[in-house]
Amino acid sequence: MAGIRFESVGKKYSNGFHAVKDLNLDIRDKEFLVLLGPSGCGKSTTLNMIAGLEEVSDGRLLFDDQMVNYMPPHRRDVAMVFQSYALYPHKTVFDNIAFGLQMRKVPREETARRVQDAADKLEISHLLDRRPSQLSGGQRQRVALGRAMVRNPAVFLMDEPLSNLDAALRISMRAEIKDLHHAMQTTFVYVTHDQAEALTLADRIVVMKDGVVQQIGTPDDIYERPQNTFVASFLGNPPINYIDGAVEVSDGETVSFVRGDLKLKFAGETARKLASSNGREIRLGIRAEDVDETRSSGEDSLIRGKVNSVLPVGSDQFLGFDFCGEELFFRVGKDLDHALGENVALSVDLSRLHVFDKASGASLIW
Amino acid sequence: MRRLFGYEERSAAIFLAPVLAVLMGVAVFPILYSFYLSFFRIKLTRPNRTPFVGLDNYLDLFTNDLFWVSVARTVTFSVVSVAAILAISLLVSLLLNQNFRGRRVLSTILLVPWAIPYVANALMWKWIYDSGYGALNGILYQLDFIDKYMVWLGDQDKTIFLIANAFVWKEVPLATILLLVSLKAIPSDLYQAARVDGAGVWQRFIHVTLPAMKPGFMLVLIYETMMAIRHFDLFFILTEGGPGNASHVLSWHIYVETFRNLSFGSGAAMSYVLALVTFALSYTFIRSLGRKV
Repeated sequence: MAGIRFESVGKKYSNGFHAVKDLNLDIRDKEFLVLLGPSGCGKSTTLNMIAGLEEVSDGRLLFDDQMVNYMPPHRRDVAMVFQSYALYPHKTVFDNIAFGLQMRKVPREETARRVQDAADKLEISHLLDRRPSQLSGGQRQRVALGRAMVRNPAVFLMDEPLSNLDAALRISMRAEIKDLHHAMQTTFVYVTHDQAEALTLADRIVVMKDGVVQQIGTPDDIYERPQNTFVASFLGNPPINYIDGAVEVSDGETVSFVRGDLKLKFAGETARKLASSNGREIRLGIRAEDVDETRSSGEDSLIRGKVNSVLPVGSDQFLGFDFCGEELFFRVGKDLDHALGENVALSVDLSRLHVFDKASGASLIW
Repeated sequence: MRRLFGYEERSAAIFLAPVLAVLMGVAVFPILYSFYLSFFRIKLTRPNRTPFVGLDNYLDLFTNDLFWVSVARTVTFSVVSVAAILAISLLVSLLLNQNFRGRRVLSTILLVPWAIPYVANALMWKWIYDSGYGALNGILYQLDFIDKYMVWLGDQDKTIFLIANAFVWKEVPLATILLLVSLKAIPSDLYQAARVDGAGVWQRFIHVTLPAMKPGFMLVLIYETMMAIRHFDLFFILTEGGPGNASHVLSWHIYVETFRNLSFGSGAAMSYVLALVTFALSYTFIRSLGRKV
């Protein structure tokens, strides 16, 4: 149990701010759904509406076909992990975890057993007598998880739970959260602005901007087939490169991207979809990793420019690349040796080009 | 080690010297001197005979009936005042922590009693309680609660509570602000977490709000107790300890002993007893309650 459905849901605050607009979303039972977007995009508001902490202004919110617009949080069978952890500072770890059960009048022995269980799983049993102020950030995080786990909720909500942890801990906690989802077999809704977290954890990602859903899909969909320039830019490190230009169809079948001297030939499906768009102004997207120096597939895949900067990042290096006065960033192998100011030609993977409408930013191929 | 004090220490000493000199003259010296006086029988009516009497001034206190009356009055006044201040400031701070139209105006108005000096406050209440033209009589009479003007402060059973009322009116603003600070410091996340955990309004108040306010409560409790025990102005202006000895509190007792009976030795001894009690109370509060905060 616990599919969640948003039907044309909107959230307007009394000051007129429209945080979420016409949201239609089906969260499946036992799914790990990530709401991803920059701050202020409405993702936390969406989560709070599921929790019942924010009222729904328009539309309907349903849990398994039951409308819950006006149902208070404690009757929704949801548990939530907050970014700040929101532990009760004057209660011990035990009482923090037990509080939700106590409020629900679960018998004392049952409560003690479940708290102990959760604490064992999270490896914090030795901390049960401490206060939150005596714990490290990672330990507090576990207590917050424990408080949610112990309730065995139908829906598990997490609002940027890892953003207060240091980088190393964040990565190991990601794995633990994924395990937790496996073990609990329940619906997870997770809010983050961190693309790496979203890509690692999610069954499906919802990308939001200014209260509007930009794309819903698997991590693979979102990364490989972005439906607009916002989604394409939001994921990827370094971010995707854009070059504005036009479509050129010559002798009825060769479809290329043209910008000054640069001419890139589209392949396969992309070429077919653009075959009737001769002369159309487009924005070409090339992911930073989709270039290669060693591959030579002919003149139609080469992009030429001058090296502006070389930034080694350990496993490989970022190449700042000046193309017609625009700065592009590519990720290349660390063994390539380039001097600043050197002219280089990089071979673009033509099968992985992204094409967007120049004016609207919408994808023309997905 | 060439010099015991470096440049910074020496310049600090020079800058502090004037203040220290003044403090020595008006605070430290009188305190020590009154301690010295408390061992002598000094009456200004017999300025030439000031025999050393050891602890007699202190021992005499405990056999003096009026002293014990004044202790009882002080306890009544302090307990009633502090309890009322805590209760009212809790309610007002909870109110001011809500968002509503006119909250800022209300907060500003609330501060007015705080800004009024004690003596002005006392004079104001003297008028309000006046038996001939007082506002209290006027309002109650017009509302038909009383059928003739009352001599409010002349009623032995009511006097101490009426004075406490004037004291509470003056002290509530500061107490409210102290409590409001601890209220404002509670993160909203905690309330949200408690709501998700299933806590209702009352449970959120018990489990989130009250514990977070404990330091504020402590502060108000200690500060207001100290203020109440030592309070003098209202008693001086409103009743001079009367009627009878109905408002004869310790501070008033000390004043009478020292400046009306001109008995400086025993007055000094009482001041020391009052100071010691105040200190002991504060210490107990901090030790017993502070640990649980």
